[in-house]
Amino acid sequence: MKRTTRSIAAVVVTAAIAATALTSCSSGGSSSDTKSLNVAYWDYGKGAEDGNQALADGFEKANPGTTVTLTPIAGDNWGGYYANLATLIASGKKPDLTFTASEGIKFLAANNLVVPINDYLNNDPAAKTFKDDIAPALLQSFGYKGDITALPNGWNDMVIYYNTKLFDAAGLPYPKSDWTWDDFKATAKALTKDTNGDGTTDQYGFTWAGNEIFPGILPWVANAGGNLVNSDVSDATANSAPVVKAVTYLEDLITEGIAPAPAPMSDIFTRFEGGQVAMFGGGRWPSATFLPAGFTDFDVQLYPTGDTYQTVAGAAGYAILTSAVNPDLAWEFQKYTVSADIQDSEIGTATAPRDSIPSLRSTAEKTVAAGIPPKSGQLFYDSVDKYPALTPFPAPAKYSEYESTVLRYTQLIFAGETSVKDGLDSLQTDLSAVITGK
Amino acid sequence: MTNTTVRQAVGDGRKPATHGGEIAPKRRTRPGDGWAAAAFLAPSAGSFLLFVLAPTIGVIALSFYSWNLLSDGTFIGLDNFTRLFSDSRLVAVYRSTTTMALAILAINIVIGLLLAVLLETRMPRIIRGFFRLSFLFPFVVSSSAVALIWRFLLNKDLGLVNYWLGFIGVDHIDWLGSSAWAPVAVVLVNSWKTVGFSILVYVAGLQSIPNEIKEAAIVDGANAWQRFFRITLPLLSPTVFFLVVINTINAFQVFAEPRVLTQGGPGDASRTVVEFIYDTAFQSFDLGYASTVGITLMLVLVVLTLIQFRVSRRFTFYG
Amino acid sequence: MTTSTIKTAPRRRATPRLQSIGLRVLTFAILIVAAFAIVAPFAWIFRAALSPSDAELYRLPPSLVVNDLTTANFGKVFEQVPFLRFVLNSIVVAGSITAAQLITCSTAGYAFARLEFRGKNVLFAIVIGSLMIPLQVTIVPLFLVMAKLGLTNTLWALILPPIFSAFGIFLLRQHFFSLPKDLDEAARIDGAGHARIFFQVMLPLSGPALATLGIITFTYWWNDLLLPLVMINDTQTQTLPVGLVLLAGRFSSGSLGTIAAGITMAIIPVLIVFIIAQRHIVQSIASSGLKL
Repeated sequence: MKRTTRSIAAVVVTAAIAATALTSCSSGGSSSDTKSLNVAYWDYGKGAEDGNQALADGFEKANPGTTVTLTPIAGDNWGGYYANLATLIASGKKPDLTFTASEGIKFLAANNLVVPINDYLNNDPAAKTFKDDIAPALLQSFGYKGDITALPNGWNDMVIYYNTKLFDAAGLPYPKSDWTWDDFKATAKALTKDTNGDGTTDQYGFTWAGNEIFPGILPWVANAGGNLVNSDVSDATANSAPVVKAVTYLEDLITEGIAPAPAPMSDIFTRFEGGQVAMFGGGRWPSATFLPAGFTDFDVQLYPTGDTYQTVAGAAGYAILTSAVNPDLAWEFQKYTVSADIQDSEIGTATAPRDSIPSLRSTAEKTVAAGIPPKSGQLFYDSVDKYPALTPFPAPAKYSEYESTVLRYTQLIFAGETSVKDGLDSLQTDLSAVITGK
Repeated sequence: MTNTTVRQAVGDGRKPATHGGEIAPKRRTRPGDGWAAAAFLAPSAGSFLLFVLAPTIGVIALSFYSWNLLSDGTFIGLDNFTRLFSDSRLVAVYRSTTTMALAILAINIVIGLLLAVLLETRMPRIIRGFFRLSFLFPFVVSSSAVALIWRFLLNKDLGLVNYWLGFIGVDHIDWLGSSAWAPVAVVLVNSWKTVGFSILVYVAGLQSIPNEIKEAAIVDGANAWQRFFRITLPLLSPTVFFLVVINTINAFQVFAEPRVLTQGGPGDASRTVVEFIYDTAFQSFDLGYASTVGITLMLVLVVLTLIQFRVSRRFTFYG
Repeated sequence: MTTSTIKTAPRRRATPRLQSIGLRVLTFAILIVAAFAIVAPFAWIFRAALSPSDAELYRLPPSLVVNDLTTANFGKVFEQVPFLRFVLNSIVVAGSITAAQLITCSTAGYAFARLEFRGKNVLFAIVIGSLMIPLQVTIVPLFLVMAKLGLTNTLWALILPPIFSAFGIFLLRQHFFSLPKDLDEAARIDGAGHARIFFQVMLPLSGPALATLGIITFTYWWNDLLLPLVMINDTQTQTLPVGLVLLAGRFSSGSLGTIAAGITMAIIPVLIVFIIAQRHIVQSIASSGLKL
């Protein structure tokens, strides 16, 4: 008896010593030179590498004597990117700036990693241009407890993509921005067909991404007048009436045979191009896949109005980290990413458009004028300027976990394995635990 | 020589000493062996201390901490362990892991043996070579490549698998999106990749069975089934046992297939414990709890292996 | 009667005679179905790699007649990811681990099989016990240690942790048991020390066993997804398995043709080496008698 207690104690003590040894090593290392910057970015392919290299070169040229080192970070989605960013920081490497999306702001802020830019915005005379030329909703998506944490340099909002050829073939008029959920369902139904007469549907009216929240359920939740989190992102509201209404609406589309089971985005692109799906939701990025492939039979429209209309938009930008040696220089870099030159390069061309929308209104307006499809591309900026945006931005500090939790339950619901109510009730329990940390 | 190779390679792993004596019965330690042994063991011992023992102590130590990846840990005693018992997700993940592991094990052991036996029947050399090549090939291809291929093939509406199944009247199966089929998909894809190795090990085991025994059985008038179950299988039991142990440990480490095919979903239907550990540690940044879950996996493997060794003592024939 | 069958080693063997034609047909039917199930997906992915459009690939039934082949997808792979770096990194990682394990496992295997020393049983029990502590269990502290040493984001973080292998030690110990005792007794009478016996007597007889361990180790770490996912966070230092996932694109939105081209390039070299070395692989695994 006594011996067991003693040996357990010994194990615990050894463990504690080992653990202390593990903690005590401190980490350090950063670019010590005040004229150099280390910028971490999401390296999702050649486009990201070239874009960031151009950014770094441009900044060095505009600020002689400075050097910009790029730290590429891999990741197949935002969750993977933040995981890698966190492991990078945990291994003691501390960049001055990091590329981030609205989704990651609270993660960075809650871990005290990001420098708010309020003072710069108030004191730097150049900042006024940005405040006037960037939609407030985009700045707000980078907000944390009243602070603005970064200037967005590109963004995306969720719109409906529709295949114009299929509309033409069905003799349907192209949708208007004031269409309602009922109109949408009727349209989608008219576009659902068994084209070869073998008894199974081979052209669906609508589908959405099963592996993402933003081009998935969120626009519907927003237009039902709800959100997945409460007003200060301190708890989940996943089984609130608007969420139930939105998810029920989508679930009905599946049970009525108008929509197939949600699939990953890549399948959706392929099916949309192949005419197997007439409509789906996404930001600007699908057109960056379609146009280089020569596919132009599409246009965009706002999501249909439910009880209300709220734009779902998320931004991306370069946030200044608390580890920055020279925050002022980092601020200069951040401003540079929103400068007209750099913003212009975010437009792209008609056969190789960029995958996000420039955050300067004046630049974004040039996109359609440059002849870059979709024809209704002005909708992108209009939707944040002329309509209210979903607030708060639904992204708690533990974003990756939040995202995987939401997807875990919506997958079950849309696979028909749990009822909408049961699924959302369980989701609420789990999501609440993720957000509150209890 | 080969005959003895196979016979003497039989060690039971429990009591290595008795097998050391298989070649030369217990004998006094020669002077000098100790130092030589130390030198020969040094490379392993060093890497063992650094990369097995230290992390194992670390994982135990971490389990007493609440440790966010980005900030220092706080000692929380046994909180992580009490959390284990109230974590309904962990239960679900263990259930799916165990189910999938058993299925993977069964396919490797049973289908692997069947294919190995068929492969050892009389056939032209070149055809045997072709079959053996095909079966073993997926083993050398990376799991993520394999999973990516199958992610396309198993697509519900556009995948070839459902298209072909349609010819025999099977309705489109939601391989990757339904709780019932997602684990099946993970099992099939993992087994598809691993079974070739089991086949090869079986083939080696089958070939090591001495000819004389089989011929004697034929003379005695035993038919093919009798020969298989009374002679081949008992003589093959050490091979079976080896494959059971190795495949069990491997089947509990499955990670790439669910991650690429189904992301563990829907729900937790195809999530494995290793995936759960990875998510907890590197997506939720909860290093302490991830370590605690790691300890449970270690305990499961220890218990399973002990059971296997115990069972094998009764059924494994080391003639 | 058995001379026509492939031998993995010179040995007499009885080939079971299937009495009935029916059984033979059944045997071949099963083998052909199994082989088809394994070969067809590869054929499909190779075909997909050469296909000009993704929509074409998803058309059912698949068009077997290929009229407009393109190699454009391969070019896109190199545009999107540093593919050659992935391959190089994978070769360095899997190669180094294999070389290191061959050293640690052959020396330890020799000591456990042919030397007498105090604590041998205990030590060997520890080795076997560590078989139950796979890397997946200790991944968190391994990451922390590598991070503290500043080795994350370097290939060292992938090479060092797997250097110790209980399986490898076990495998080679079995092999060294199997070598006749007279060999080293004779050498010892000639005045050879342990080092000389090991290098000049034992190792030359260990080709197949070392090759077996080498093949198993190399393929395992060539294919590993977890360790690079945890240890490496920049693209240039990634290995092939993660590289392919990255190729699948942000939110898995990559083009199927490009992914297929990437997979094809990852597979073809392995396939060629495998076809050439196939007989040796089979022989060495067969003759090393994997049993417990």
